[in-house]
Amino acid sequence: MKVGIPKGLLYYKYGVFMKTFFDKLGAEIVVSPDTNRQILNEGVKYCVDEACLPIKVFHGHVSYLKDKCDVIFIPRIMSIREKEYICPKFCGLTEMIANSIPDLPFLLGEPIYWTPKEKLMKWALNTGKYLTNDKQKIKKALESALSKQNKTKNTIKQPKLKYKVALLGHPYSVYDPFLNMDLVKKLNRLNVEIITEDAVDDKSIDFEVNKLFKKPFWTFARNTYGAAVNLVKGQKIDGVVYISSFACGIDSVLIELIEHETPNLPFIVLKIDEHTGEAGFNTRIEAFADMLGRRLNFAYNNTAYG
Amino acid sequence: MLITIPHMGNVYLAAKALFDGIDVPYVIPEPNNKESLQKGSLYSPEEMCLPFKLMMGNYMQSIEKGADTILITGSCGPCRYGEYCELQIKILSKLGHDLDFIVLDAPGEIGMDEFLRRLGKIFKASSKSRAEKLLAIKRAFRVMDSIEKLEAKAHYLAGYEINKGDCKRILRQCKKDAFGCDNPVEMLRVIKEYLKKINAVPVDKTKNPIKLSIIGEIYTVIEPYSNLNIEDKLMDYGVSTKRLLTPSWWYRDIVLKPLKLNSPGLRRASKEYLPLYIGGHGRECIGEAVLAHKEGMDGAIQIFPLGCMPEIVTKAILPSIQRDKNFPIMSLIVDEMTGEAGFMTRIEAFLDMIKSQKKTN
Ligand code: SF4
Ligand code: SF4
Repeated sequence: MKVGIPKGLLYYKYGVFMKTFFDKLGAEIVVSPDTNRQILNEGVKYCVDEACLPIKVFHGHVSYLKDKCDVIFIPRIMSIREKEYICPKFCGLTEMIANSIPDLPFLLGEPIYWTPKEKLMKWALNTGKYLTNDKQKIKKALESALSKQNKTKNTIKQPKLKYKVALLGHPYSVYDPFLNMDLVKKLNRLNVEIITEDAVDDKSIDFEVNKLFKKPFWTFARNTYGAAVNLVKGQKIDGVVYISSFACGIDSVLIELIEHETPNLPFIVLKIDEHTGEAGFNTRIEAFADMLGRRLNFAYNNTAYG
Repeated sequence: MLITIPHMGNVYLAAKALFDGIDVPYVIPEPNNKESLQKGSLYSPEEMCLPFKLMMGNYMQSIEKGADTILITGSCGPCRYGEYCELQIKILSKLGHDLDFIVLDAPGEIGMDEFLRRLGKIFKASSKSRAEKLLAIKRAFRVMDSIEKLEAKAHYLAGYEINKGDCKRILRQCKKDAFGCDNPVEMLRVIKEYLKKINAVPVDKTKNPIKLSIIGEIYTVIEPYSNLNIEDKLMDYGVSTKRLLTPSWWYRDIVLKPLKLNSPGLRRASKEYLPLYIGGHGRECIGEAVLAHKEGMDGAIQIFPLGCMPEIVTKAILPSIQRDKNFPIMSLIVDEMTGEAGFMTRIEAFLDMIKSQKKTN
């Protein structure tokens, strides 16, 4: 059986898991290509207008796959950490897709709870049963998918450059170069290297998050907030770049919360949707890099004379 | 202590009854209006959903009158509403207002002890006895229930009334008079009187008015200012409307959800199209659309604020229900830029469409 895996949303975090699981079940795997113009256009065509860019792009990936496989896997991830959620659009992803794109093959869109283990196992059994009757095989597939995933660390290789900024945002915005208009390379060319939230360990994140009045129940918010505050306090960075999508409800809260913790740092929020022009985008990044330069000089002069 | 609450439909009446009953000082913010929205938007993140901005506006206006304590209900679902207070506290304190937020989360989430402890902050300021306090809570709930009953009747009977405008007038007058009362007993008596009046409105049962369900995001469905008074307008058009979402439904939902007791019919009805809870009240929206069709309504209007995450999901699903059941559904998205004229045009076109469909049937 051919299983289609859309290269969108949390493929950028759990791609290894997805591929290993279906591979171990003996499926033939078709992954959609890196996001490109055509995929974006397809997504915009089918998706509800009001949705955010990553969701539209995901629709495009599904549309690309629809006549190239027997079933399509939909990562309807309800929750990654206990008592935390991702986003309502993830919870309703399967229905959004099923009601928006015509002529789809069967969708493997069971809800996924990453913890506790029994719940994940339930997903695996519910999904695996379409591929095999052998429960043992499914269990083994889950184990190896998990162990491979745990050994994978998301990183973006970076050269040592003059300035260093925290690049914040949801994994699919940070790691999909088409979606973020090649942001990382552009920053590098301006002598700016980046560090992402993946560089901060879980314990340090918890430490910062526990100080909030109310624990955030969005995993993205928890990770990004905790990591940002940690990076800022450690004084390891010269500024913050936040890559976000228009109409992302989570970011409308999260960005404010982070800005409250970084009052004295250059902070730029880049919001994107399908209408964002590249020229204006580049200008803003350049202006930001200039500001980093001015600030460093200023700080240097001040200490020299003060 | 001077306590205040944000607006949401008729909640202010119940809150007034409660505060009067336990005799603590309070301010009820002005009804939502252009100025409060502007003020609220000024201090809110730009892309924040409309309820947040309106609530901020309420706080700002109450603070001007000296309020130092805010009572709100939280909710621990996967949506922004639950994150509101953290951010609101931070924004307000940055503006130099250190307010005491009393957040009434669902007892199931924070534990009954914590729930009562939070309420205790208010009760401490009251000199009434324990029995009187409990009585005041009870009466506040009765106020909520009876005003909702009156409102639901008025909205439904508006399609059948013989003298155009009766229902609307009675509803308006009732709210005004109720707000004028300074003790809960009096308020309950007033509402009861108006309930009698609404029951006596002359109606023509042979009329066959357009019947619509109002569905969507709970705040914008309930708070008239945020939906440009859609229910009032539909009353003017002689349309009968129904809605399920009310403050007391919400309260019951928070208390009963852990037991899965509230609205089991809704859950069943939504199953085919959206089998899981996605946050906010997305699942209810789908269930209501299906039920509205079953109950013989002529159509449904979905209302939600721009950028509302769960309702974007339901907006993707509703066209399938419309197609499968040949049941007209219109989505209206509101934000601070929504213009009255365009809004009305869309509603009128929708009503025309249903009218002609009704004729051919
Ligand atoms: S978290 Fe934000 S960007 Fe991601 S799917 Fe939800 S709304 Fe869209
Ligand atoms: S349900 Fe919609 S309006 Fe309510 S908090 Fe969530 S996004 Fe905002």
